[in-house]
Amino acid sequence: MRIRCKASAGTMQSSDLMVVVEPAETLRVDVESTVKKQYEHLIRAQISATLEQLEVTAGHIKISDRGALDYAIAARVETAIRRAAKE
Amino acid sequence: MSHPDSNRPQGPAGHAPFDQPALGEARALIESCGLRFEPGFDDLAVIYDQGRLVACGARSGYVLKMLAIAPSHQGTDTLGELVTGLIQSGLRAGHETLFVFTLPQNAASFQALNFRMLVAHGDAALLEYGPGLPAYLAAQSGLITPGRNGAVVINGNPFTLGHLHLVEVAAGQVDRLYLFVVREDRSVFPFEARFRLAREATAGLGNVTVLDTSRYAVSAGTFPSYFLKRLDALAEAQMQIDLRLFAQRIAPCFHVAARFAGQEPLCPTTAAYNRMMAAVLGEHGLEMVEVPRIEADGLPISATRVRAAIRSGDFSTLEHLVPPATLAYLRSEPLPKMEDT
Repeated sequence: MRIRCKASAGTMQSSDLMVVVEPAETLRVDVESTVKKQYEHLIRAQISATLEQLEVTAGHIKISDRGALDYAIAARVETAIRRAAKE
Repeated sequence: MSHPDSNRPQGPAGHAPFDQPALGEARALIESCGLRFEPGFDDLAVIYDQGRLVACGARSGYVLKMLAIAPSHQGTDTLGELVTGLIQSGLRAGHETLFVFTLPQNAASFQALNFRMLVAHGDAALLEYGPGLPAYLAAQSGLITPGRNGAVVINGNPFTLGHLHLVEVAAGQVDRLYLFVVREDRSVFPFEARFRLAREATAGLGNVTVLDTSRYAVSAGTFPSYFLKRLDALAEAQMQIDLRLFAQRIAPCFHVAARFAGQEPLCPTTAAYNRMMAAVLGEHGLEMVEVPRIEADGLPISATRVRAAIRSGDFSTLEHLVPPATLAYLRSEPLPKMEDT
């Protein structure tokens, strides 16, 4: 899937996350999280798995997380990407 | 409780966009929280619970303000919901980084929403959300050189021989001089022109690098009352935040040991800013150097005087006040309206 425009998904409520994606030449993922110290590696692993599944190879993915669980991360990232791909 | 988005009064900024009952309720809530209601924002997020307004907050450009939550809903996640609405509103308007001024005791509530503390002093804390300062500094990193560097911050509205003199004196005393041009577009001349004229006028000085201040000096985020030329407790608090942000977050990244400013004989706001600059920078082990103004035809050169000469179309005086690049620009461009500062 190709990121064609800027799009976002999610909220800043507790246990949720906000995702902003925009077109870029390469793939870059920035993570802000209230539990960054403990869980950044797991958040990144979940984002990578979702991007791989959607076959996203380029784009700037920005995450602002408030302790979301894996399935919330997957759902919010997928929604933002589908919006950015204009599906 | 409904989502802020679904209740957000719609309408273009600048018209009478918000339905009056909601605005009246919002105003009452804001004032009951001890905040001052300031009209002139771009968007208002509101949250209702069972028909009653329980939270609201406004966005003016990239600055969030008047965030108020009814006592019955404090300590819940209402702030998260409110901030979500404001972040979405900011994204729609193209602002990925948002600022908020708050009381230091409320800073932790914003930090729990991934806001980053920029600076705190006295009764005020300034935080930001989004890529913000780290992204700004990363973008400038290729221009940073080691040594004993200096900084000058100017609005340059427009760039005068007085600015050039200040830059030349400063550049002679440091390894590299960073000339920061205020990004905020509240002046007669647009940022692109102010930046380009500063760059062209200083191109002959090998150790001067012209930079964009972004939101991090004399901006709507750090020092909004600069543009109102008003001097009161609020303006002083904003100066403190602006100068501490420079001393703590900007100067160290650019290896800046001294900041230079033109002596200010006329404008009381700028004169007070200079006095406070000397005190705040001194506290952080930085030097503040005031450079005397140069004169033309027996009077100090200032951008205010230049704008007066432009207003009266007096190009023979302008030749003594501005460098060739600015003069060429003034001759080639339709002159902007001059009612404003």
